[in-house]
Amino acid sequence: MSISAEYAQEHINDPAVLCCRREAGTKLSHHDFEDPAIFDDLVSSGLLKLDGAITIGQAMGATLTKTLDSLNPVLKDCVDKVQEAAAPAAVSSAPAAPASSNQGATTSVAGGKLKIHIGEGKGIDLEIPMGLAGGAGAAGTGASAGAAGVSSGAAASAGGEKVVRTLTRKHYNITEVKRGKETKIEGTTLYIRKGIEEEAVATQELVHDLKLDIITKDKYHTYSETIMDTQPIATKEGDSELGSGVTRVLDNVVMLLTGTTDEGVQIGEFGSSEGYLDENVMWGRPSCPDYGDILIRGTVKIENKKNMERPGPLAAHKAFDVITQEIRMALKELDDSLVVNTEKFDQVRRPGKKKVALVKEIMGQGAMHDNLILPVEPVGVLGAHPNVDLCNVPVVCSPLEVLDGCIHALTCIGPASKEQSRHYWREPMVLELLHDKEIDFAGVIFVGSPQINSEKFYVSRRVGMTCEAMDVEGAIVTTEGFGNNHVDFTSHIEQIGMRGIKVVGMSFCAKQGALVTGNKYIEAMVDNNKSEAGIENEILGNNTLCPEDAVRADLMLKALMAGESVKKPEKEWNPNVKSQNVELISNVTGKPVELVKNETSLPMSEKYKKKYANAK
Amino acid sequence: MQTQNRTPKYIDKVNYYEGIITEVHDGSVAIDIKGRLGSIRIPKRMIISDYELKVGQIVAFNMSFIEQISN
Repeated sequence: MSISAEYAQEHINDPAVLCCRREAGTKLSHHDFEDPAIFDDLVSSGLLKLDGAITIGQAMGATLTKTLDSLNPVLKDCVDKVQEAAAPAAVSSAPAAPASSNQGATTSVAGGKLKIHIGEGKGIDLEIPMGLAGGAGAAGTGASAGAAGVSSGAAASAGGEKVVRTLTRKHYNITEVKRGKETKIEGTTLYIRKGIEEEAVATQELVHDLKLDIITKDKYHTYSETIMDTQPIATKEGDSELGSGVTRVLDNVVMLLTGTTDEGVQIGEFGSSEGYLDENVMWGRPSCPDYGDILIRGTVKIENKKNMERPGPLAAHKAFDVITQEIRMALKELDDSLVVNTEKFDQVRRPGKKKVALVKEIMGQGAMHDNLILPVEPVGVLGAHPNVDLCNVPVVCSPLEVLDGCIHALTCIGPASKEQSRHYWREPMVLELLHDKEIDFAGVIFVGSPQINSEKFYVSRRVGMTCEAMDVEGAIVTTEGFGNNHVDFTSHIEQIGMRGIKVVGMSFCAKQGALVTGNKYIEAMVDNNKSEAGIENEILGNNTLCPEDAVRADLMLKALMAGESVKKPEKEWNPNVKSQNVELISNVTGKPVELVKNETSLPMSEKYKKKYANAK
Repeated sequence: MQTQNRTPKYIDKVNYYEGIITEVHDGSVAIDIKGRLGSIRIPKRMIISDYELKVGQIVAFNMSFIEQISN
């Protein structure tokens, strides 16, 4: 099959292979070339060898000197002359990190771009907008239009930087959690009222039992039912609204919701993380408890058969929140003298910089595939609306609302890739974009993933339209887990990409979660996988989005927006792509990217041994 | 961490299967594979559907034979 002229232009640097027999003397055009998309299969099956082939760009317009059969690569000695490729070969080192100016010899500053030529090797030309090149380019921008923005600091703020809102987190340290007559905090000791469990159970018809345990570090080798959610304990101070003002949070203690039905079926039976905590939790992931945290664990029993019905998991979350809410009320009473640390987050808009939105796809298929959006209290229940009831349409939140717990996640299946409520509380992608002074971070768009295809396309068209209305130049689309949510995930990317907006996608893919569908706008992807084998390994939080992924996505998007291209993915999952990119980023930015540990750092569980390994 | 004795040899050979939906819940779907070849139960997000899922609908998928890879 020949290819169109437009398609040939897109693949100008791919090898030229004839689609049909062509006689000597034929002047080559796009009609004569085979689609490069099929080469991988042909090469791997031995039907095609590309050694020595010139590129489509070099072959276009040349005249064949030999008669060649179909599926023969065009070699140098088969044509009268090798054409100079119209566009300089887009060498763009993979998901490229913007290079710092000290890497090569600066050759020119023109058109708002810093051109760096690295003489050694194969003559790589990089074009980097001034904003990304640090201070080095500042001198050259004086005369230019200035749209690219000067580097940072005072000059940038003169360009109209505006702090839209501020969120302050006051941290209170907790060293001990005890049961007592009333729920209160004394110094660094949290007391939870005895008998509160019965009251919590009484609020929900479907909840039949709730057991509360305090699990400290020395008791981590405790059996636990599947972990449904990990939540921070935080409350708003005074009249502050979620996403601004002051939030109080307890350090070193988290709420951990687990549960089964009356007859013992796990809530979240598909890929559940029940077992000993120390063997099934990837400590320190954004969504998980940190190693050393005191866990206030609620073990809920809900009505039989309700584990896979929507009201079941929701009732468990509501009952557990009764306890959290009482702790929140106690936290409100605390004196400022107990504050051990204060964090301040500014949401800064930077007009003139490239506007970027973060699209977070959350699950909305029903049952535990649901999220409560915008509660009154951080990760609370009251005041929130489930995204399933909102028909999964996009909801735009400020980055600070996200960091203030605007998502109470009922968290879907797939323990390794699900994003629990605590994930949003310290979402690495939001933090990365929030602190990036080279972009204008416009907001976070939450969109649910419905079950039915027509609904999926309905919501993704709204995502495209939202991005268009926001006038963004770049977007990062993330999703959790894999399955039919990849249908709308790719559709979101298409809807955004077709509007001329650069997009980077983030998902767990690796071996098991490869995308089921694709389109031409999916050119930049970041894989969240951390597991050794590239699978859903049932270790809580193992394959979720971490800072190392956020750094890659941010730099990839900036490279795309600067006009760089991203290398095509390999045919099969190759973990080396990530390590090469991480190394490249570390080398160029001078800041080493620290990689998180994976399941190999945990003691191997009996369940895992039985299930996956050769248990002897 | 995951140890196995052999790599699977036949998983590239996929066959076409059809099945009937026998149960639909908010979170899961049960399917009997046609030809009395067994049944599967999967989370809803692992099934791609153009219409609302109902009992009695026919589904199709490709699957390889299942191979033992450890002793």
